[in-house]
Amino acid sequence: MKAKKKVVIVGDVRVSALKQNSKHKPASKGRSGPAVPATTATAGATGLRPRVETGNTAIADLGTPFVAQPTLAERAALDRIDLAVDLAPDHGGLVLRSPILVASGTFGYGVEYGEVVDVQRIGAICCKGTTRRPRAGNPPPRVTETPGGMLNSIGLQNPGVDAVIDKYGPIWQGWQVPVIVNVAGESIEDYVEVARRLDGVPGVAGIELNISCPNVGKGGLQFAIDRDAARAVTAAVRRATDLPLLVKLSPNVADVRPIAKAIEDAGADAICAINTLSGLAVSADRTHAFLGNTYGGLSGPAIKPVALRIVYEVAQVVSIPIVAIGGVTNLDDVLDFLACGAVAVQVGTAIFADPELPVRLGDELRADCLRRGLTSYHPLIGTALPKRTGAPSAKGAEYRP
Amino acid sequence: MRLVAAELVESRQILPGQWLQSFHAPELASGSRAGQFVHVRTGDYSGLVLRRPFSINTTDAATGIITLHFRTVGRGTEWLTRVREGERLDMLGPLGKPFEVDSRSRHLLLVAGGLGMAGVRMLADEAIRDGRQVTILFGALSANHVYPSTLLPDEVEYVVATDDGSMGHHGYVTELVSEYEAWADQAFACGPHPMLARLAQLAAGRRERLGVAKLGRKRGGGKVDPLGSAAARRKAFLQVSMEQTMGCAVGACLGCTVMGVEGPLRVCREGPVFASDEIAWPDR
Repeated sequence: MKAKKKVVIVGDVRVSALKQNSKHKPASKGRSGPAVPATTATAGATGLRPRVETGNTAIADLGTPFVAQPTLAERAALDRIDLAVDLAPDHGGLVLRSPILVASGTFGYGVEYGEVVDVQRIGAICCKGTTRRPRAGNPPPRVTETPGGMLNSIGLQNPGVDAVIDKYGPIWQGWQVPVIVNVAGESIEDYVEVARRLDGVPGVAGIELNISCPNVGKGGLQFAIDRDAARAVTAAVRRATDLPLLVKLSPNVADVRPIAKAIEDAGADAICAINTLSGLAVSADRTHAFLGNTYGGLSGPAIKPVALRIVYEVAQVVSIPIVAIGGVTNLDDVLDFLACGAVAVQVGTAIFADPELPVRLGDELRADCLRRGLTSYHPLIGTALPKRTGAPSAKGAEYRP
Repeated sequence: MRLVAAELVESRQILPGQWLQSFHAPELASGSRAGQFVHVRTGDYSGLVLRRPFSINTTDAATGIITLHFRTVGRGTEWLTRVREGERLDMLGPLGKPFEVDSRSRHLLLVAGGLGMAGVRMLADEAIRDGRQVTILFGALSANHVYPSTLLPDEVEYVVATDDGSMGHHGYVTELVSEYEAWADQAFACGPHPMLARLAQLAAGRRERLGVAKLGRKRGGGKVDPLGSAAARRKAFLQVSMEQTMGCAVGACLGCTVMGVEGPLRVCREGPVFASDEIAWPDR
């Protein structure tokens, strides 16, 4: 019953997409519209009823899989939409086929969800945080649910970079999906050493520097909250490797902009924002903190507004690509982050409830572009950023009557 | 492991705050083993971002029905009690490692504390189907928290202990174990952590205390099964089903670990069933 209804809804989205396409209005965003004659013909031929726009309904329902089954012509039109994005345009390139990534720590090493998810259709996989030596992680319990989110304090449990390379390198090498290794450390030397070992390993497509994980209870100042330390670690890793280098920002700072700028200046290819917010949960009997590590990192829909704000701020001070992370659970969230200046998004906590979400969001973004008459999702990027002021005013004066 | 749309067919409160729900999910009913669990997605709209893990209480391959037994402890389980018959829930499963019964074991001792019954309930069905004798030792706070014997197979010997003495033995269920440990070939337990720790303590000293010979022939030149393997669990006297707050349930997030003697163990992947000597119990 429910599944049947779902097909109809999905169909409607598609119909309205085609309809809009057929009476295509040129240049709404300054791009010449894509001519899709085949699709128009299909829409006419199948005589599908036009219906009221249903928006984002395909994702909302409980666990019912997305079951879009476009015809060949529609599939061709969808395939023409370019979702590719380069996260390291100035440094050899890290081209993803989809701007939907999975966030570090939520997808393991890409193999764990293999039975239920087609991992090859994800834009890229950011693997579990990897350190120089094996780490046992924090004492349990390590996760708990909070309103609209979850707290975790895994403590960077991982087998160490060498074991990761030995165990997963050969697997990743056979994959189409790029794997970005998330790197964590306690000193600049740690980061540099891990980056060196990863350099040149087949199957490793890039490095994401975790300079902000609030879980490692070392007491020291985090790299991510100190502009000079963030700059130093980024520059050191940049010198150590030719791999595309992404750096993940912490939201636990007063002003993230100087840190983001320092990271860009130090040679990062892209910025990921944001890591988890530092938080706390109390045990049921209220005698101690719930998590074994006392503090945890908050993730999930609860942090989306914070992530949006930081992406919005960072997008105005850096020119390298921004990968947004923070509470993405549906296409609207993706579009929000794109509008605030991100070129790609990572899905994290939502995977736990809905493992197929990263793949489905790619499909939905494609369908949304088709509906808008776009050949690429790039015109959707940065639309909510403030219009630049300053220089154009002089130019405007020239034409003033 | 697969994503399944399970339709709720029956929901009833069997004890104060404890519910038994039946779902039509043929894939789970025929493909699951005792000790495994499902990860159930809760309603998106209520701000619950994590799935909830539940032991598979019983399965019936013929009708495609599985049952889940749970207590309302928070918003997720309360939401679950309000699901109406005919609604479909998204379940990921079957997950985790099952109980391993040695083919030569005739007498199985199942020890359950409170909701731990849900962890071992299916094993009773499996064992009786295979012609073994099953005794369930069950511990609860008081008589009105005792799992109804009508929900158990007739062949099971059911022994109850209550903390307040309102039914059966007055005291902890672990105090009953000594009467059965010589009879039992293998023991399986699920319940509160202190109960499992006590049982592990008892199990560790069992061989010396009873002077029992090691099961099986002395073959293979003292080959030791690696800790955590199915063979090692099968040879262990006591297997425990552990619980922990859980994120992904597939081994990706490392959120549900318990401390093992060789380092952290993921309850969702290496467990939830462990041989008792795999776990670093606090007393040891």
